[in-house]
This record gives sequence, structure tokens and C-alpha cells, in this order.
Amino acid sequence: MTEKNIKIVSFLCNWCSYGAADLAGVSRMEYPADIRVIRIPCSGRMSPKFILSALREGADAVWVSG
Amino acid sequence: MEILKKPRYVREDRCIACGACTEKCPGKFDDGYNADLKTRTAIYVEYPQAVPLKYAINPDACLKLTKDKCGTCQEVCPADAIDYTMTEEKITIDTGSIILAPGFKPFDPSRFDNYQYAKFANVVTSMEFERLLSATGPTMGHVTTFPKLPAKPKKKKDKLLAEKRKDPKKIAWFQCVGSRDVNKCDNPYCSSVCCMYAVKEAIIAKEHAGKDLDCAIFFMDMRTPGKEFEKYYQNAKDKHGINFIRSRVHSVVEDSETGDLHIQYADEMGQIVRETYDMIVLSVGLEISAETRAFAEKFNIDLTESGFAKTGSFEPVTTSRDGIYVSGVFNNPKDIPESVLDASAAASAAGDALAEVRNTLTKEIPAVPETNVTGDRPAIGVFICDCGSNIAGVVDCPNVTEYAATLPYVTVAEETTYACSQDAQDKMVEIIKEKGLNRIVVAACTPKTHEPLFQETLKSAGLNKYLFEMTNIRNHNSWVHKNNPDIATEKAKDLVRMAVAKAGLAQPLKEEKIQVNASVMVVGGGLAGMVAARSLASQGYETHIIEKKDTLGGEALKLWKTAQGEDVQQHLSALIKEVQASDKIVVHTNTTLEGVDGFVGNFVSKLNTDGNTTELEHGIAVLATGAKALETTEYSLGQDDRIIPTLELDRMFKDNDPKLDQVQSALFIQCVGSREPERPYCSRVCCTHSVENAIALKEKNPDMDVFILYRDIRTYGERELLYKKAREKGVIFIRYEVTDKPQVKVEKDHVAVTVKDHVLNQPVTIQADLVTLATALVPRKDERLANFFKVPLNDEGFFVEKHAKLGPAEFATDGVFVAGSGHYPKPVNEAITQGRAAASRALTLLAKKDSLFTSGTIASVDVEKCSACGVCVSICPYNAPAFMTEGRFEGKADVNPVLCKGCGLCVASCRSGAIHLRGFDTNQIFSQIFALGETA
Repeated sequence: MTEKNIKIVSFLCNWCSYGAADLAGVSRMEYPADIRVIRIPCSGRMSPKFILSALREGADAVWVSG
Repeated sequence: MEILKKPRYVREDRCIACGACTEKCPGKFDDGYNADLKTRTAIYVEYPQAVPLKYAINPDACLKLTKDKCGTCQEVCPADAIDYTMTEEKITIDTGSIILAPGFKPFDPSRFDNYQYAKFANVVTSMEFERLLSATGPTMGHVTTFPKLPAKPKKKKDKLLAEKRKDPKKIAWFQCVGSRDVNKCDNPYCSSVCCMYAVKEAIIAKEHAGKDLDCAIFFMDMRTPGKEFEKYYQNAKDKHGINFIRSRVHSVVEDSETGDLHIQYADEMGQIVRETYDMIVLSVGLEISAETRAFAEKFNIDLTESGFAKTGSFEPVTTSRDGIYVSGVFNNPKDIPESVLDASAAASAAGDALAEVRNTLTKEIPAVPETNVTGDRPAIGVFICDCGSNIAGVVDCPNVTEYAATLPYVTVAEETTYACSQDAQDKMVEIIKEKGLNRIVVAACTPKTHEPLFQETLKSAGLNKYLFEMTNIRNHNSWVHKNNPDIATEKAKDLVRMAVAKAGLAQPLKEEKIQVNASVMVVGGGLAGMVAARSLASQGYETHIIEKKDTLGGEALKLWKTAQGEDVQQHLSALIKEVQASDKIVVHTNTTLEGVDGFVGNFVSKLNTDGNTTELEHGIAVLATGAKALETTEYSLGQDDRIIPTLELDRMFKDNDPKLDQVQSALFIQCVGSREPERPYCSRVCCTHSVENAIALKEKNPDMDVFILYRDIRTYGERELLYKKAREKGVIFIRYEVTDKPQVKVEKDHVAVTVKDHVLNQPVTIQADLVTLATALVPRKDERLANFFKVPLNDEGFFVEKHAKLGPAEFATDGVFVAGSGHYPKPVNEAITQGRAAASRALTLLAKKDSLFTSGTIASVDVEKCSACGVCVSICPYNAPAFMTEGRFEGKADVNPVLCKGCGLCVASCRSGAIHLRGFDTNQIFSQIFALGETA
């Protein structure tokens, strides 16, 4: 586990990556607790403004998956 | 009908699939889902995606049920779902139609002594290899030798063997194990799926293990007649470097030291080749088990000799007994798309039989009037779910609840043991009413499974269902951070804060009612189109068939017999009569389509009948435009009347042409125009068709010499029996290479065909009186029609369906369906199956015509901000935005709520910020980002 308190903002597509994160839970896969998921209806919904805003709010990284 | 339900020993109404029971369960048994390559606990769920996701106990492996010891699962179950006293139940159901879909059993190769599957550690079945490749399999996708040993062996002998484990460098697949074989087993048929899955496994194995993995597939005929399959096969050879070796390997010898496998085989030149492989995969066939045969006997339906259900080509999902239908491999070996088509077709056949009593058992739920919350200050209720110990065992739920109560606009924060239980739902309704809540947040499991449930609760409390936000503190938190409870608690707080911020901005959303015009337009009056129309008409829907020719019947009018020997014209004319006699079907012959406007439920099509234009309003469209035989001059076709295409031979048979009596030597050439760079697909129907006609010629005159020149014989499924019969009758099959095609020379007395014989490796010349060319089936490639409905065509001009496997009879465009050879070449029975399937899928929309609504989470345009740039109009994959053509805001964009899928592509690309995505609006996503910036 990381010592520094890292925050990764994750924009996950409802239809694939969000579901995959659900399955990771069902399979009890462990991973670092640094990500905060924002569910979006499709990665097409992503606007560069969201990424810039997340970084401005102190996110260490932004992850868009879809 | 009486059904026996075996006990699950777990109450489905209580099990929440948390998995606590499996952690402590001491009972073990073979994990069938993983091809027995590992064990599972006695209490188990079949696989992670199982529906319903409920656990069950195997009574033979459970210590409590076998020896009355243990009982741990009952102790640890947080939902009190375990019930060891459950017994078998007999359920009686009154049914009008029954659909049988019992599936198949993979062939068990242990009975073959030559491959020593049971004895040699590195000889595996394709099912076992499939699991080895899978990320959820026993090795998490890592292919290794000695896969049948336990991951951590306990026995000394196994431990020694496990030390020899390595990553394989050479893997071979042996095709037709348990298929096309009457010597070592009794399965004369082709299993239809093994060639493709072997190619797939080889490609994936190389992806996992790296390019230097040597993959070889030993086969007799490479059978890839499915849509896009031939290209996949060619890519496997050319791009992935898979070796295809046409040879049947006699036996396997194991190196006792290393476990490597030595084989020897004769190559195409007859030379003996010796090779050593690290692993051998047996491509096992599909078989009907003894249990399934016994099951079929109970229903008193006829089976073929190999155990498949007997069905006719014209009613391809109907068994020998009225009211009983079949689908899937039990109705002949088939791949996924054909199984899905079978399933839809069986539903259509079963439904047609019950059309009179439709909706007599339907019940409706009374609606609660909606409270208007517009303009009210947000009053948010937050419900934190413990999910028994699933969340509360890791996350400090009381702490999170306390925290939630301090957030802005939160009126109530409650902790609940199971938010999804009925009593918790009732309590939620009570709290909403009592405290006057107008926004609800639930922090629990995943919205993908539970959002609809909570939305129903909101509705029953009189709240608009979109005033709801769910955040996932189980699957995305407690389950994946169980060793870090403090961090998980902090994360849960962050997630709740983000959800509350978003919920505060939620607006009540409206779902627009979709008006569905309950009539259907079928384009194409061939077999598939007529079958679709007949099915829809029998369900009471007005159906219009648009046919450009002056008669119904399409290409089937030119066919003589089906693969099963049925007279096509006899059945076809009966079908045409039925269609013409139906008072629900309107046939428009000599009619073409000139234009289409509208969308699902509301199409207006322009028809042109002999120059007269009319408009047709319809809610649904079925495209069944078919395919036709390739016109070519290859092999001197058209230069001599002794060289004819397949359909001409059919005509001669149909008309009992006296010329056929003169024929002493007949020859067929396969793949004329198919499987070539210009048309890189297999036409699917030609092998069976030629074999069938060759048999007919032999039966007409047993002394006739009949030759078939082929590349691979692709008589899939039980069509293989025809191939066998043809060889038994003395039809001579000569294989040729595409690089060395037969030469046809027209002589005075005969046609001389020279071909290089693959056994002799010498050119031989055959003097034929009749040369039949199996010409490719080519689609009509109607780009205009495709544009009318905004549906895609592939490179060759066949329609592209919604999903190659799961949506084979529908388009991505809502309300438009596809059937017949316009989708891909197919024989009579498959065209009819797809016709029925398209009708069945159309019915799912037509049946809901009074209760079809759009989603509330769709895009809408703020016209004041819209600059009419047109980016949204050009970017939308669903054609939902369009420029308004009249009114005050003419020229600005407007989104059609029926077509919008709510993806948000237009919202993200709108440079004026004029488009809002309801439910995922920009301010809502920003609020989540900003909430994250604050610290708990």
C-alpha cells in the first residue's frame, strides 16, 4: 500500500470498465485504494475540462477508461 | 407438465451472493466450469456472472449433508439463507408450448487409445485449453504444461511431475476428435464449431505466450463457412503464422522423462514427418448425451441416429410433436450466432401457436402519483448499506453514516443492514414521506444490478426515479480493500460526499412515450421475408411485403431440393399461398423503395409501384433482400451449354430435363468466385448443394462417373452424412489448390477438365459431358437501402448485424431487423430460422407498443446557446441530433429523444456548451470532481 495519500480520479464507462471494476470486486481482487470512480455513460462523454479540473482539484492522476 | 426441482439448500430469496460461505467451506469437488482442472468448495456459485447470482450446495460434497458434520456455512451466512432441510420439489405448470434447449456434451476422448488423453499429462481437450487461456481460469490465462496436475500438488508423484512444468514452445491441435468418425466412435457428423475454436485458441495462445510459440493445426478439411470466419482463418495463416497441416495423426508417444509428445504423420506428399510437441490439444466434438436422449424420450419426439432432434427445413425449430420446439446444438451442431437465431425462432414458433391467448395472463402494477419537487430546496436522504458484513466488515459504516449527516443538504443519514431487503425498502418509503425527502443517495453495491430496484422504491414513494444516486462502496471498495479498513472507510466517505454533491443537482426527468405504429414493412419477398411476415401476421400485426419482382419466392424459386431431400417448390408454393391468403399481409409486387423517413415506431416509406408513388407508415422494418448467384465467365461458363451453374442443374432436375439422361460423366467445380481475394468469404451453401446433386445423379444412373473438384468440403453438422453417402455411392472427390485451379477446355465430344490430383500429385484430365460450377452467392449490395435505414454493409456488401454473436437478426438501428442471405449466404432452413428470429425480435418492440418509453438520461439542446455549427449532427452515431427545419429556432440543433442513447458524445463535443446530458450533466460531473477536492 502506498504511504503517500495519492488520489487517482477514474472516469469509467458504465458499460465496460465500470462493470469490470464490479467483477474485480466479485473476484475479490485486491488493489490500492487510491482510485475514486466517477461513472460516466460512455467514454464519449469525457471532456478535457473534466481532466483539467480534476488535476486542479489536487488529483495526482486521471484515468479514463472505456 | 411436471417439473422436478432439485434442492439448492440455499434460499434464493435470501442469498445475497456475498461469498462468506465459500471462505470457510471444507468440502471440495471438481470445478466443472474450469473443465475439472481445479476444485471448488461444496457451496458454490457456478461462475461469477451466473444468473441468478445465488449460491448452491452440492449434496455429494457437503460434509453436513453427507455426514452431518460441519454446518459452518449456516453459521457464517449473514443473510440466514442456508437451509439443509430443503427437499426436491415437484412443480406442475400448464403450458401451451414447450421449447427444449438441453445443449450438448463435449466428446470424452479417454476412450481413444491412440491419443492416450487419460494417461499422458500434456494431452488436453480443447475445453481444458479454453480454460487455461481464460483470465478467470485455473492458471489465470498462463499456459503451462502439466495443466491437469493441481496448482500446488500434495502427492509426491505429482510434485515430481510439477517440477517439469514449463511454458510450451510448440502446441498442436488435432481436429475431428469425436467428429466425422465411425471407426473409433459413432459420430458420423461434423461438429461445426471445432475448426473455428481451434483457430481462435491458437491465435490467443500466441497472444499470451508470444510470437515464438509454434502452433500447428492438424485437420482434414478446414471448415470456416460462417460469416467473417474465412477471413479469420486466412489471417491466422498469414498474419499470426499458425501452421495448418492437412493430415490425420495416427498416434502419440510420450517421452517418459520430459512429458513431451512425439508424433509422426504423413504430409500431403505422403512423406512421413516426425515432430515433438510440448502439448497436444484434442479438438473434441459436440455430442448428445445419453441423459439428453432419455430426456427427449419423455417428450416423445423423434431424434436422428446421432441423437439430434429431427426437424424439417421448412419448420426448422419444430419437433415431430406439435407444440414442442427446439433450439441450440440439440437441433444440430452449431455456433453461437446460429444458436441465438434458433432461440429467437423457437420463441416465435412457440408464440405463434399461442397467439390467440396472448396477454391473457398479464398483470399490471398500479402507478403512484409523482410529487412535484421542482424549485424545492434539496432534502437528501443517505442510506448506507452494511450488506451484512460485506461492507460493514471492512468499512466503519456507523462512522460513514455520521459523516454523511454533516454534508450539505442532507436531511437524514441512515445505516441499514441490507438496503435491498423488502423491509428496508418499505422503511425507506416511510422515511421519504415522513421527512419530505426529495433526493436519495444509496451507498451500497453496484448500480448496474441494484439501481432499478431502488428507483422502483422511489417511484412507490411518489418521487421521480431520477432523483436518485447510487455509489458503490462494496464492489469498488470493501471487497477490494479488505486488508485496509481505515483507508476503505476514508474512501467510502469520499464516495458518499461525491454522490451527495451530484444528487443535490439531480432534476426530475421525463421519459417520453414512444409511439409505435404497429405495422411492419418487410423488404424482399423471398423465403426469409415471407416467413417473417407470416409470423408477424399470425400475431395480429399488419405486414407489408415489398417485392421488386412480379412474384413472391425470390431465389428459392430456382431450387430443387433441400439438404434433407424436401421438394423446395412444393413447400414454397404452399408458403406463398398462405402469405397471399392472410388478411394481415399486404403484398406489393413490382414495387421498389424510394425513400424512408423517421425512426423506430414511426417510419414513413415511399413506395414506387409501376411508376405510382405511395407512402407507407410503419413502425418496424425487416430487410430480407437476399443474395444471388455470381455471374461469371470463369471456366468458360456461357460458352458451351455443357458448362452450367448450379442453379441450372437444379432447373434440369426440376423440369426432368431429358438432357440429364444422356450424361455419362458429370463434374462439379467448387468455390467458383468464393474464397478468393476478390470475394474472401465462403458461400456456405455450395458444398452441400453439389454433394446433394452428385448423389442425385448417381441415383439416376449408378454407372455415371461423378467428380467433385473442391478445396475443402464444408458439409457442416449432419450434412456430413451426405458427403459420406456420396463417397459410398462412388462420387470421386479431387482436391485442388487455389493457386493451381482446374483447366477447362471445350472439345467437340466432351469438356476436358485438367486438375492436379492431390494423391497422385499428377495432372489428370477428366472428360465430362456436364460441368456444374458452384458459383458464389453475392449480396445485392444495396447501398441506397442501407442509407435509407442507416444500417452498415461490410466490404463484400452483406448487411452488418447489431452483434456478430448476440444480435444476429437485428441492426444497431432500433426497429430495423435483418433476415436471409442479405446478411450472409444461407441454406433454406437457416434463412427460415432467421426470418422467424427477425419476427421474434420485432415482436419484442411491437408487444410493448403502449408501454415503450425513452430513457430519461438523454441529451437536450439549449437553443439559446446553440450556434448551429452542426458538430453534434455529424458526430452522433445514432443520428439523434438534427437541425430544426421550422419555427422560431429553425436551423438550430434538436435531439430526438427516441434515437438518443445518452452516450454524451455530442455534449462533450459541443463548443458552445449548449447540450446537456440529463442525469450526467456537466455541472453534476464537476460537482463530483469538486467534492473530491474537499477533504473529509
